Amino acid sequence: MEKQAVISAKHLKKAFGKGESMQVIYSDLNIDIYKGDFTVIMGSSGAGKSTLMYSLSGMDKPDGGEIDFDGTDITKLNNDKLAVFRRRQCGFVFQQIYLIEKMNLMDNVIAAGVLTSKDREGIKNRAKELFSLVNIPENTWRKTSSQISGGEAQRAGIVRAVINSPNVLFADEPTGALNSANSGAVLDVFSSLYENGQSIVMVTHDKKSALRGNRILYIKDGKIYGECDLGKYEPDHSERTEKLDRFIKEMGW
Amino acid sequence: MVRLKKLSTLIIHNLKKAKGQYVSFGVFICLTAFIINIALMLAFQTFHAYGSLFEELDTADINVIIPQMQDDDALLTEVEGIDGVSFAEKHEGVFKPVTVREFADSDFDMNTVFYDLDEKRTLNRLKVTESSTKGDASVYIPVFMKELGGFAEGGSITYSIDGKDHTYLISGTVLEMQYGNYGTGMIGGYFPKAVYEEFAREYEEQVIAEYSLKTTEGADLHAIKNAISDMFKEKGITILKSNDRDTVKQTRTMVCTLLIVIFLALAAIILVVSIFLSNFRIRSAIEGELAQMGVLKAIGYTGNMIIAATVMPYVLTGVMATVSGIALSYAVLPFVAGILAIQSGFSYTPVFDSTAFLIVILVLTLAILLFSYLSAGKIHRLEPINAIRGITGEEAAGQNILLFIVSFGIMVLLSFAGTLLYNVSIKPDHFMNTLSEELPSVIFTAEDEKMSELKEILENDSRVMLVMEYASVPVSYEDGNLTAFVCEDFSKATNDICYEGRSPVKENEIAVGNAIADGFPIGEKIELTVGGRSADYTVTGYIQSVNNAGMVCQLTSKGYEKIGEKANSVNVYLYQKNAAAFIKEYEETCGAVIKSSVNFEQLSENGQKLYAGIVSAIVVILFVISVLMVLLVMYVIIHSMISRRRQEFGIYKAIGYTNRQLTVKTALGFLPAVAAASVISAIAGLWYLPAINNITFSMIGAVKNHFQVSVLILIVFAIMFIAAAFAISVLLSAPIKKITAYSLLRE
Repeated sequence: MEKQAVISAKHLKKAFGKGESMQVIYSDLNIDIYKGDFTVIMGSSGAGKSTLMYSLSGMDKPDGGEIDFDGTDITKLNNDKLAVFRRRQCGFVFQQIYLIEKMNLMDNVIAAGVLTSKDREGIKNRAKELFSLVNIPENTWRKTSSQISGGEAQRAGIVRAVINSPNVLFADEPTGALNSANSGAVLDVFSSLYENGQSIVMVTHDKKSALRGNRILYIKDGKIYGECDLGKYEPDHSERTEKLDRFIKEMGW
Repeated sequence: MVRLKKLSTLIIHNLKKAKGQYVSFGVFICLTAFIINIALMLAFQTFHAYGSLFEELDTADINVIIPQMQDDDALLTEVEGIDGVSFAEKHEGVFKPVTVREFADSDFDMNTVFYDLDEKRTLNRLKVTESSTKGDASVYIPVFMKELGGFAEGGSITYSIDGKDHTYLISGTVLEMQYGNYGTGMIGGYFPKAVYEEFAREYEEQVIAEYSLKTTEGADLHAIKNAISDMFKEKGITILKSNDRDTVKQTRTMVCTLLIVIFLALAAIILVVSIFLSNFRIRSAIEGELAQMGVLKAIGYTGNMIIAATVMPYVLTGVMATVSGIALSYAVLPFVAGILAIQSGFSYTPVFDSTAFLIVILVLTLAILLFSYLSAGKIHRLEPINAIRGITGEEAAGQNILLFIVSFGIMVLLSFAGTLLYNVSIKPDHFMNTLSEELPSVIFTAEDEKMSELKEILENDSRVMLVMEYASVPVSYEDGNLTAFVCEDFSKATNDICYEGRSPVKENEIAVGNAIADGFPIGEKIELTVGGRSADYTVTGYIQSVNNAGMVCQLTSKGYEKIGEKANSVNVYLYQKNAAAFIKEYEETCGAVIKSSVNFEQLSENGQKLYAGIVSAIVVILFVISVLMVLLVMYVIIHSMISRRRQEFGIYKAIGYTNRQLTVKTALGFLPAVAAASVISAIAGLWYLPAINNITFSMIGAVKNHFQVSVLILIVFAIMFIAAAFAISVLLSAPIKKITAYSLLRE
C-alpha cells in the first residue's frame, strides 16, 4: 500500500545570522513525513535536525519553501493561526521536558487539553487513561515536576503532547536528559503510541532511541543525505541494530 | 476575544505560583484605592454635606450687618426689591469683638454676634444640640468652638468684653452655616431669650440689624452686594460686616480642599509606583519563564491567551485589592471627617458613595489592565522556538531603572512630608504667614489722641523689636466690602503678602486682594468708601488673604485717613515670646493710654495648633506609606532577583561565600540606584518642592506661600531613606540563606 504523506516540505531554506556571520542550515531541502510512521531524524551536531523538525511542526518559520501539513501550507500562517494549528495537529516532547513549573501533572495535561475541548471531565478521564498507559501512578498526578523523577516527568510530558490526539507527535531528543532506565521506559511509551497508529517524528543522536523508529532520515550538508527503512521495532532484534549501524556508518557518523 | 474559561487553569496556576508578588501588588493597589476613595469621598460628601446643611438650615446667600440705630422698618422691603433678591429677613443681634477665655487653654479674640436663640427665623436656621444642664445664664456655642476650643456642654465659657468677664453655662451647641469658623472673621453666640435681652440691654449701642438674603438662581452675588452697598451708602448707613455663601464655603472647606489635593497627589504617586512594579514583575516573569511561555505557544496557546493569563491575575488582584481599599477607607472616613470638623465647624457622617466606588474601581482596573497588557505585549513577539531556547531578542527588565524611579517617587513624598513638617511644626511662622497677614506679639489699641505717646513708650522698651501702626478695617468698593489692612509703612511689615506688584507707598495707592485682582489691573483706579467719604486709589499690586477669601486690600495710614478715622491700633513685635506678661504689665502701668489689648502671640499659637494637628496626621500618613512602599518594592525586586539568580547564588556558596557576604553584597547592589535617586531627588527638591507648595497652596487661595525648603531636612531624609532601603534589603535578602549548593545539583 502506498504511504500517505502527512507533511510534504519542498525547497526549504533556513539560515541563522546575517552578513558574514550568516550560517546556512539548509538551502533546498525536500522531505515527506508519512502517516503512521515513526520517523527518526539523525545527523551530527549542528546539522539542523531540530531546526528542521521545528520548521515542519510550525514552531519556527523557514526562510523559504513550502510545508504542506495535511493539506495546509503552514508557511503562510501567522503566529496566532500557527498556534491554533499546533494545538490541533501537533504534540511536542522536549529534551528538557518543560512541564510548567509548580503546576501539577494533571493540570499540565489539562492546560493543553482545554485548548481543543470544552469537556473538562472528558479531558481528565482521557488524561487518567494516558497516565495509566505511560505507567504514572495516581498518587503522582497531583505532584509537580520537581517532586518526581525525570523519567516520570518526561512520560507526563508525552501525555500532555498526545492529550489532543495530534496528527503528528514531535519529539526532540526526548531521552537526552534521562538515565538509561528512565530512557527505556520513555521509549517504550513512544513504541506503544506508534503501535497504536500515532505518527511520530523524533530527532535524536542516540542509536537506542533511533532503533524505535521504522524510518531513519540522515541530515547532512543541508539536505536529507540518506534514508533507511528499519521496519517494525522488536526488542533484541540484532538485524535492525546492524542495519542501523551500517546506515549511519555509510552516512559518515 | 480570548475565552477566559479555557485559561482558568493557567490563571489559577499563575496566581498560586507567585502569591507573594500578587499580595505585595495588592497591598499597593489597596493603598491607592484607600487614598483615592478618601479623596473622592471628601470631595463629594464634604461639599455635598455642606450644601445639604446649607439648604436644610435655609442659610442666607448674603448677610449684611448694620447698626440697629441706623435701621428703619422700610429698609427690609427695599432690600427685598433689589434685583436678584428673592427673599429677605431681618434678625437682631449684638455685635462685639470679644475675648474668649480658656479657648484651647488660652485667650481667643474674635468678632462675635450674639443672637436670641428663641427668635423665630426662616433663614439662617440653627441646629441645636441641647445639653441636659440648664441654668439662668446659659449660652449655646457654635460647633467650631466646641471642637477647637475644647469646650463641652455642661461646662462654662467666659467672654471678656471691653475688659469685663461674662461667664455662662454651656447648655448646648449650635450647628449653623452662616459663620462656622474663625477664618470667616465672625462667629456666633446664642443666648436664650431672657439672657439675650439682658445682654442686649447692657450693650445697647452694639445692637445690630442683620439682613439675610436669599437670591434667585444664578444671581450675581457681587452685583447684589454692590446694590445693597449703594443703597445703604445713599442712606448714610454703615455696613459693619457682610459675608456671602461663596467666601464662607471656601474658608470652611479650606483644609478639606488641601487634603483632597494631597491625597490625590499621593494616590497618583502610589499608582505610578504600582504600575512600574507590575510592569517590572511581568517583564521579570517573561524573562524567568521564557521557556515555559515558549512551551505554551508550542502546545497551541496564542500570544493573546498567554497575555490574558499573565494579565488576569493582576486584574483580579487589583479588583479585590481595590474593593478592600475602598472598604478600609470607610472605616477611616469618620475619623477624617472628625478632623475636618475641627476646622470646618460642621460634621457629617460619611455614607457609601456609589459614584466614588465606581470611579475608583474603573480608574484602577483600567490602569492595571492597560499597563499590564502593555508590559506583557512582548509575549506576542516571542517565537516559540526562540523562547524555548531562551532568546528574547530584547533587553533584560530594568531592575535598577525601576528602583531609581520608585526611590525618586518615594523621596518626593518624603521631601514633601519633611517640608510640611518643617514649615508647620519647626518654623510655624512660615505656615501662619502663608495663611494670615501680620503676626505681631501684641496688638494695642490706644486711647483717643494717645497713639504717639503709646508708640514712644513702646519704642523705648528694650523688649520690643518693632512697633508699627497697623489695623484691619472694613471699607466698601463698587462691588461690596473689603477688609483693609492699614499700615503706616508696609516696608516695615514682617509678612510680605504681596504676590505681584508692590504694597502701597503713597497715600493714593492701594494693593488689592486676589479675589478682585482680575477686575483691577495694576495702574487702574479703585474707589473706596467709608461712611459716606470716598477716594480713588491707584492699584500698585496684588495681595493674598486666605482667611478673608481674598476680599482684602492694603492702604497706607495716610491713605486710609482720606476716608476714615485714624486707626488707633499698633502692632508690637517682641524679641521673646512673653506676650501675656507684657500685656499685663502695660495694662497696669500704661492703662491711661491703652484702650484694649490682644495677645496675638496666643492667637497665632491657637491657629497653628489647629493646622499642626492636621499636618502632623498627614505627615504620619506619608511616612507610613513611604515605608510601606519601600518595603513592598524591595520585596518584589529582591524576590524576583533571588529567583532569577538562584543558580548564581548556589555557585557563590559552592566556592565559599558565606550567607552574610551574599546578603550584604545583594543589598549593596541596590544602593547605587537608591542613593542616586535620593541624592538627585533631594537636589531637585530645591526646585520641585516650591512648585508643589505653590500648586498646593494656590488651591486654598494662597497664591504666594512662605514655605522654605530646608536643605538639611532634605539631606537628613535622603540619608534616612538610603539607610532604610539598605536595612530592608538586608532583611529581605534572608531567603538567600535557604539556597544550598546541593539544591543546584538536584535542579
